[in-house]
Amino acid sequence: MSGEDCESFDRGDADGQKPDKMFTLKKWNAVAMWSWDVECDTCAICRVQVMDACLRCQGESKKDSYGKQDCVVVWGECNHSFHFCCMSLWVKQNNRCPLCQQEWSIQRMGK
Amino acid sequence: MSGVSKTSVLVEEGGNQFRKRSHLSSNNDQCSKRTKFDDMSANEKKSNFSMLNPNSNGTIKMTSSSMNKPGAATKKLVIKNFKSKPNLPENYQETTWSKLREAVIAIQTSKAIAYSLEELYQAVENMCSHKMASQLYVNLTNLVEAHVKSNIEQFLSESMDRQVFLKRMDDCWRAHCRQMIMIRSIFLYLDRTYVLQNPSIHSIWDMGLDLFRHHIAMNTLIQTRTVDGLLLLIERERGGDAVDISLLKSLLRMLSDLQIYQDAFEHKFLQATERLYAAEGQRLMRELAVPQYLAHVEKRLREENERLLHYLDPCTKWQLIHTIERQLLSEHLTGILSKGLESLMDGPRLHDLTTLYNLFSRVKELGLNELCNHFNAYIKKKGRTIVIEPERDKTMVAELLEFKEQLDNVVSTCFQRNDRFLYSMREAFEYFINQRQNKPAELIAKFVDLKLRAGNKEATEEELERLLDKIMVLFRFIHGKDVFEAFYKKDLAKRLLVGKSASVDAEKSMLSKLKQECGGGFTCKLEGMFKDMELSKDINITYKQHLAASQEGVGLELSVYILTMGFWPTYPPVEVRLPAELTRHQDHFAKFYLAKHSGRKLQWQATLGHCVLRAHFSQGNKELQVSLFQALVLLLFNDGDNLSFEEIKTATNIEEGELRRTLQSLACGKARVLLKAPRGRDVQDDDHFSFHADFTNKLFRIKINQIQMKETSEEQKATEERVFQDRQYQIDAAIVRVMKMRKALSHNLLISELYNQLKFPVKPADLKKRIESLIDRDYMERDKDNPNQYNYVA
Ligand SMILES: [Zn+2]
Ligand SMILES: [Zn+2]
Ligand SMILES: [Zn+2]
Repeated sequence: MSGEDCESFDRGDADGQKPDKMFTLKKWNAVAMWSWDVECDTCAICRVQVMDACLRCQGESKKDSYGKQDCVVVWGECNHSFHFCCMSLWVKQNNRCPLCQQEWSIQRMGK
Repeated sequence: MSGVSKTSVLVEEGGNQFRKRSHLSSNNDQCSKRTKFDDMSANEKKSNFSMLNPNSNGTIKMTSSSMNKPGAATKKLVIKNFKSKPNLPENYQETTWSKLREAVIAIQTSKAIAYSLEELYQAVENMCSHKMASQLYVNLTNLVEAHVKSNIEQFLSESMDRQVFLKRMDDCWRAHCRQMIMIRSIFLYLDRTYVLQNPSIHSIWDMGLDLFRHHIAMNTLIQTRTVDGLLLLIERERGGDAVDISLLKSLLRMLSDLQIYQDAFEHKFLQATERLYAAEGQRLMRELAVPQYLAHVEKRLREENERLLHYLDPCTKWQLIHTIERQLLSEHLTGILSKGLESLMDGPRLHDLTTLYNLFSRVKELGLNELCNHFNAYIKKKGRTIVIEPERDKTMVAELLEFKEQLDNVVSTCFQRNDRFLYSMREAFEYFINQRQNKPAELIAKFVDLKLRAGNKEATEEELERLLDKIMVLFRFIHGKDVFEAFYKKDLAKRLLVGKSASVDAEKSMLSKLKQECGGGFTCKLEGMFKDMELSKDINITYKQHLAASQEGVGLELSVYILTMGFWPTYPPVEVRLPAELTRHQDHFAKFYLAKHSGRKLQWQATLGHCVLRAHFSQGNKELQVSLFQALVLLLFNDGDNLSFEEIKTATNIEEGELRRTLQSLACGKARVLLKAPRGRDVQDDDHFSFHADFTNKLFRIKINQIQMKETSEEQKATEERVFQDRQYQIDAAIVRVMKMRKALSHNLLISELYNQLKFPVKPADLKKRIESLIDRDYMERDKDNPNQYNYVA
């Protein structure tokens, strides 16, 4: 609707719209950066930023994958977060959060 | 061969037996085949005829001017062995010999012979048949020796013009040969029987040569005069004078026939050559510019080859040419190159460079080695000046491309695509381009951006493709490839977010070139940026559908690019104050997005936002394409006019410098939709702004460019800084990648694999540190038995 307005070139003010406002915002192309909503940027297990794939996944160097799409982040009930890959290996030996030593249980997964 | 004496011998005398003297020399030409004798006595049986052409066995063409019996000319002479020996008169030997003697003396003195050739021949045969051959041979030798000796005197006189001397020598030699041919034909039977049966006896021809050599040619004074005369003649000819070439040729042939060419002449000749060209090389290197010098050397080589063809013995060739090459080239390799290579290359003077290469390749390994070294040094020196001066940064990449193309052209057209030069060129490029840290990488990235940006109409798709390939060649030389990636990424982000990319195909093509060169790990983040753009498109479609269903957000069309942090360049976080309506839209979108993607958070990038505003001027409505900052400022004028700088700053919370530039673009640029008081180019703190109601413009849709802040050196530093920090992660990832694949690896092998994989310069100590760190973190461990080996820990 309003989008179509912008495409017409010679539209005057004939529609009787009152020019009480000098400027009307028609379109907004905004830009936002997403990242994992974590307290600490770095995974304490592999010491790589959680936004990057964990070291092991980088080691895979899958030629056509877009980096870490499949290397997500996991949050524990303690709200600490790690690479899911890193934590999966960690809990096999020690089912506690490496940062606070609480028993590990998953609160949510990154998506 | 003794059978020869028993068979009939046919001597054929053609009608052309009365040849002119000139035929002698043409006959001479045919006998250019010569045999060298190291030891005369071992080869006594081989005749050394250069004046005589034995074109078939037993058939001899007489060449003589003194034969005075034309009647006998056409007659065939058939000689047969006697059936039985006749009885001889008492004084047969004396009378017969005196007849023969008379004939020989007539030949030697160019008089008419009183007897027919048949008669003389018969006489020789008869004497041989009656065991008088040995005496006959001795008599003949004495007779020839006496005559040769009688010729010595004329060469010994005190003062004689050299030219006259040489001429006289030539005449004497030619006469000797002519006489010996005739004498031999008369005494042929002696040659065929007695000489053949006695290995220690010279043939008549060789006996003549031997006597000539012994009495005349080996006479110290005569030989010195002859050789000196010849050398003088050659020197004058080399100096450009016209000399008697046939005289030279004839006398040099004489020396060859007498087998003293090498001992008496060649050595002295080569010494003279060496002296001449040593001096000439020294002098001309001072006097001539290098192209002229090279042309001169080429000319000299050509001339000397002609000299070989025209009068020198071919056996001199190798030494002669080598001498010239040594004195005119080898001695001056460095001189020529340091004096002339730079200007030849700068030209580039392709023809002269070809000559240079061809001449230098004559001087075996050394010549091309020197040339290649100087070529390499030239590239490094010139390349460094292109790269090192900050004033030339604007043109650096274009200059590098041009330089490379020029060098490629030289190597392929002048240096025969010699691999050594191609390799050396690559080495030199890699060396000088990394003489300046980071900047070339940055500028190459910028150059690519310029070419990939919309509005670059100068090139067709194919031209662009070719240009990108050339740029990739430069890129290959860069050590810090990650520096390139960082700057390339910044520009790519701009192209993608502002929709400024000229062609998706060209973008993808460049990406695949980088991937091919550096591997998927290098480009995965760049590819991620393209992926983000596609995903954003999908999200916006879904969002629109969501809005349509919920009847919200009418009036403003919001679309959002969602970028993955880490793929994109980092932008400094900027907090601005948005009007309530915009905040509402923004929050609404965020809610929608985060519901779909749990665990994420969004950070709005105000600096990257763009808007379309409808503006209502007294002359009509316009559509303004502006940045978010520009829009925020303009929207303020809906609620009040005549706002101060300070008021706008407070209302928008835009950073001061940024705001100043924004206001400048709106009130001082081409499309002034705001008015500034007082007027002026710069925005001051106490300036006031008001809506420009009477604004006019031909166009309906107007783009107002945000004034870009020049990229500060701090920003560039920050980009570089991030690159260096990132290297640590790259090293870790590479180590884990290698170890995961190889499971167990020695330290050295691991290091060398890492050098293959990493796209930036690293010190071994840094690698060691990262390995230790990974051991600490249990990614790998030192082997228990072998401390130099690492094992991967799964
Ligand atoms: Zn991790
Ligand atoms: Zn992972
Ligand atoms: Zn915890």
